[in-house]
Amino acid sequence: MRPLPPWTRAPLLGLRQPAAVLAVLVTTAILACAVASAPLFLSSARSAALQEQLGPQCAEAARPAVTAGIPAPVGDRAAALAAAPAQAWTTLGRASRTVLVVDGALGGGGNRQFGVPVAGADGFDLSQPARLLWKPGMVDHLDVRAQVPGAGVWLPASYAQAAGVTAGGTIAVRGVPVQVSGVYTDLFDTDPGAFWCDQEDLFTNAASTNTPPPALLLATDESTLVGLAERAQGSLRATAAVPVDGSRLTASRAAELADLTQRALADVAATDLLPPDGQLYADQRLSDATARAQVLADGLRGPVVPVAAAGGLLALVLVAAAGSFWADRRAAEVRLLAARGVGPVPLAGKAALELGLPALAGAALGWAASRGLTGVLGPAPEVDPSATSAALVAGVGAFIVGLGAAAVVAGLRARGTAERPLGTGPRWPARVPWEVAVLLAAGLCWVLLRGRDAVVSDGGVAQVSGLLVALPLLAVAGAAVLVARVLTAGLPRLRGWAAGRPVPVFLAVNRWAAARGATAVLLVAVALPVAVLGCTATLTASSRATLEAKVGVQLGAGAVAATSTRIDPAAVTGPDGTTVVRFGQATAQPADGGPRTGVQVLAVDPTTFAGTAFWVDSFAAEPLPDLLRALTEDSTAVPVVAAGLSTGPHQLRLGTQEVDVEVVATADVLPGRRADAPVLLVDRSLLPEVPRTAGSDQSVERWTDGDVAVAAQELRDAGAVRVLDTVPADVQRAANLLGITWTFGYLSALAVFAGVIGAAGLLLHLEARSRTRVSGYVMARRLGLRRSAHLRSLLVELGAAAVVGVVVGGALAACAVATVYRRLDVDLVRPPTPLLDVPWPAVAGTVAAALLVAAGAALYAQRAADRADPSSVLRE
Amino acid sequence: MTTVTATGLVKRFHRGAETVTALDGVDLEVHAGELVALVGPSGSGKSTLLAVLCGWETPDAGTLRIGSGGAPRGLGWGELALVPQALGLVPDLSLADNVLLPTRLAAPDASVRAGELLAAVGIAHLADRYPHQASLGEQQRAAVARALVLGPTLVLADEPTAHQDRGHADDLLDALADTARGGSAVLLATHDEVAWSRADRVLSMRDGRLHPGAPA
Repeated sequence: MRPLPPWTRAPLLGLRQPAAVLAVLVTTAILACAVASAPLFLSSARSAALQEQLGPQCAEAARPAVTAGIPAPVGDRAAALAAAPAQAWTTLGRASRTVLVVDGALGGGGNRQFGVPVAGADGFDLSQPARLLWKPGMVDHLDVRAQVPGAGVWLPASYAQAAGVTAGGTIAVRGVPVQVSGVYTDLFDTDPGAFWCDQEDLFTNAASTNTPPPALLLATDESTLVGLAERAQGSLRATAAVPVDGSRLTASRAAELADLTQRALADVAATDLLPPDGQLYADQRLSDATARAQVLADGLRGPVVPVAAAGGLLALVLVAAAGSFWADRRAAEVRLLAARGVGPVPLAGKAALELGLPALAGAALGWAASRGLTGVLGPAPEVDPSATSAALVAGVGAFIVGLGAAAVVAGLRARGTAERPLGTGPRWPARVPWEVAVLLAAGLCWVLLRGRDAVVSDGGVAQVSGLLVALPLLAVAGAAVLVARVLTAGLPRLRGWAAGRPVPVFLAVNRWAAARGATAVLLVAVALPVAVLGCTATLTASSRATLEAKVGVQLGAGAVAATSTRIDPAAVTGPDGTTVVRFGQATAQPADGGPRTGVQVLAVDPTTFAGTAFWVDSFAAEPLPDLLRALTEDSTAVPVVAAGLSTGPHQLRLGTQEVDVEVVATADVLPGRRADAPVLLVDRSLLPEVPRTAGSDQSVERWTDGDVAVAAQELRDAGAVRVLDTVPADVQRAANLLGITWTFGYLSALAVFAGVIGAAGLLLHLEARSRTRVSGYVMARRLGLRRSAHLRSLLVELGAAAVVGVVVGGALAACAVATVYRRLDVDLVRPPTPLLDVPWPAVAGTVAAALLVAAGAALYAQRAADRADPSSVLRE
Repeated sequence: MTTVTATGLVKRFHRGAETVTALDGVDLEVHAGELVALVGPSGSGKSTLLAVLCGWETPDAGTLRIGSGGAPRGLGWGELALVPQALGLVPDLSLADNVLLPTRLAAPDASVRAGELLAAVGIAHLADRYPHQASLGEQQRAAVARALVLGPTLVLADEPTAHQDRGHADDLLDALADTARGGSAVLLATHDEVAWSRADRVLSMRDGRLHPGAPA
């Protein structure tokens, strides 16, 4: 039979070692997953940033839209104008929906008013003009009071009443008679729903101006509205938008849509329909959101790329170990080849040919896994096609580099094993503490960080510096290896101690000492994920706690309802919450002279304030109740607690009203701080009446940890007319901290990934040593070793290594967190400074996972030993 | 006193459709104080017989009695010790700890004898080396020392001098002979003709059958 060529025979030979094939497949998959995840994650984050910005807005914000408008009088160009934007989209092959608005302007100068005049049943113009709107399908989204067949307009109920008309009647729009085809409940009196979201400014008086917006008259059909625009000499605005689902939008798709929008604009401009004072513009909301999402993704690139590179390097070490594993499994053959003079390069080539297919399959698997994991665990499931391609390229790179590394290590190990004389120590590269270079790199990061902000804000988007991410990663990686090196250096001495210990301890310690390198790797494999996870989880929790604290300080409590209506604060009552009077235009000056500074004065009820106000113990040396008790102390002046003022007498000025106060206690931070001025808390009952004439703005606030709507109602019940409420989301949205959250989320994923690498490495390590372990175990059983003692020895060996790894990892995480958490100030403007919040459940889970993996590995090793056939094992 | 009594031992192995009869009605007696050499070509069934005698293989037919007890599986290292072909040294223990392991597991006061044995087989200077840091011959000597450390009733050794030069082979045979003189029964599977000459009795195996005397 003709022999098969090497490139055909080698893969078949490789299949004879399924364990080695599996090891290379799995480790290459891990490598490919690590490197392919970066472009996918960045794209996913960009999509999520885009979607999260569009989410709170109207659905139309995500839709590419072109608006064309002609000022009054539009005249006979109305029909062409109404059709132009939609026609442009049609030319581009896109279906669109058109919204038409007829408007006008009345009066002039400072008395200018929008809308067109409408005459009611009596033939007189109503005091409130109207706008006309047509939007397809609008009748389905109205609360219909009455309707009649036929073309015409729908009137809001209040306007119909003012006009004295009902459905079927007639009104005149700038003298043009039109049938009232229906009457609907005013949209501001109902929950108008998402359909009307984008037209909300046409029917609500959000700015609470003295002149309400014109009444909204709805045309039954497009031609009615166009006809009215022509004859009523109004202006006409036509907006055509392409329906797009913003919740699934990617940045690249948004860019395509922006490009299309520009083409649609150009098409409309080319019609020569618009006069010089006409309007032609695109909706900017989508492009604004896309630009902001890009800023966030750019900010993420700094931390994410080094993190992915670190994960890739870790995984590459694992792939190289799989190559070494192959050399062990093929030891008999490669030794024979090496003895016959085959060098490391041909041996590496042989390894590459045998392992090529599993490496390729592993890379494909890793790429698919990264895509799937990003879809499931990433910020958003949608990624750009370009990111998928980039991930594919990364996967191919992982295949080439991984296979190369595995082959090189396999070749060197195969050759080295055959050539090394007995009793020789480790080679010099193993003796060099390379990890010191990593620690020096961490030091360099620290030095560079000292001269710059660790968290920067670009266009309102908080971004973590890559240095802040690289510093703890490099520090814990270098330190973990160094500590493992130092600890394992003492193992030979530990053997002497173990000689007098029970058999399981004796065996376990001797196993550690016999394979110091493997023990060091095991320690690092446990310590590194624990350290990275502990560090990232703590930094994430701390940044979240800090942000919540900042928001809590700004609001003062969980939520706040406020009114500027002058009401009696004592009249505001409710089961939960506390009432605070906030004074504006306030200044304070030390009684002994000194500069007068602006202050924020909060007159509080000491009996209820502490129960509701946001408080963290680090805000002051004393608990809040103790500080509040000081407010009621006997004093010649009104006692106050201050943040930002020193103790002692001060003269407080509220508008023109002067009050002598004494700062009896101080805090670093007090709740309710809305500006960068000192905050004073004063007992409301001790503060003299401040008359309206004093000119001090006052607002009454109801702070609550419960439902803000209840607090708002409590204010209204006390006589407040206009109430504004604020919840944490209102503040957090402005801060835009998605970048920080995702950076540390990605880091946490890396830590879990490193844990997977550690577990895979542990199994590889056990599998690589299983033959010698099993033969030793079988013989030791014959010598009298009990199975239970052997299992205990495995549990001690792996369990103690896991415990030491967890302790080392925990200590490194604590050091890393202590080094960087103060730099992680997500908002430098608002207090407090960064808080430390250790997520103990996550820490406990990590420890439990490490111990479980160790116990599982011990049981796995015992099971492999139990399955061994002594006769065949000891005949090989 | 008879230490090993085997009657009509049969052991067959199945390799696909083929059945190989490794032991074909083996009758064997080994007495205390006797050094018996088991010789025969490769594949004749020597190692299988030792595996059956030490309890790692169960015979398909026949009876086996070791000492006054019955089956060998439950016997301790002090009653039945062996030197397998693959040696079976625990890789994570030094050669000294390997030799001492039976004493740690069974008789902690036998350490003095372990030291004597290490010297007797010429590896006292390698006591702290791991097996992989020693040559195959040195490992084999450690395996023999481990087999003898508790002065067992029966020693089974599979090719105990296979990796030795003549001088060290003689040392090992001396140690095994001394053990036999001390009252132990020693059964060696060997190709070493010198070993045959040192044995009290030679049995030859061919095609799974046992014959008295050396092969022609």
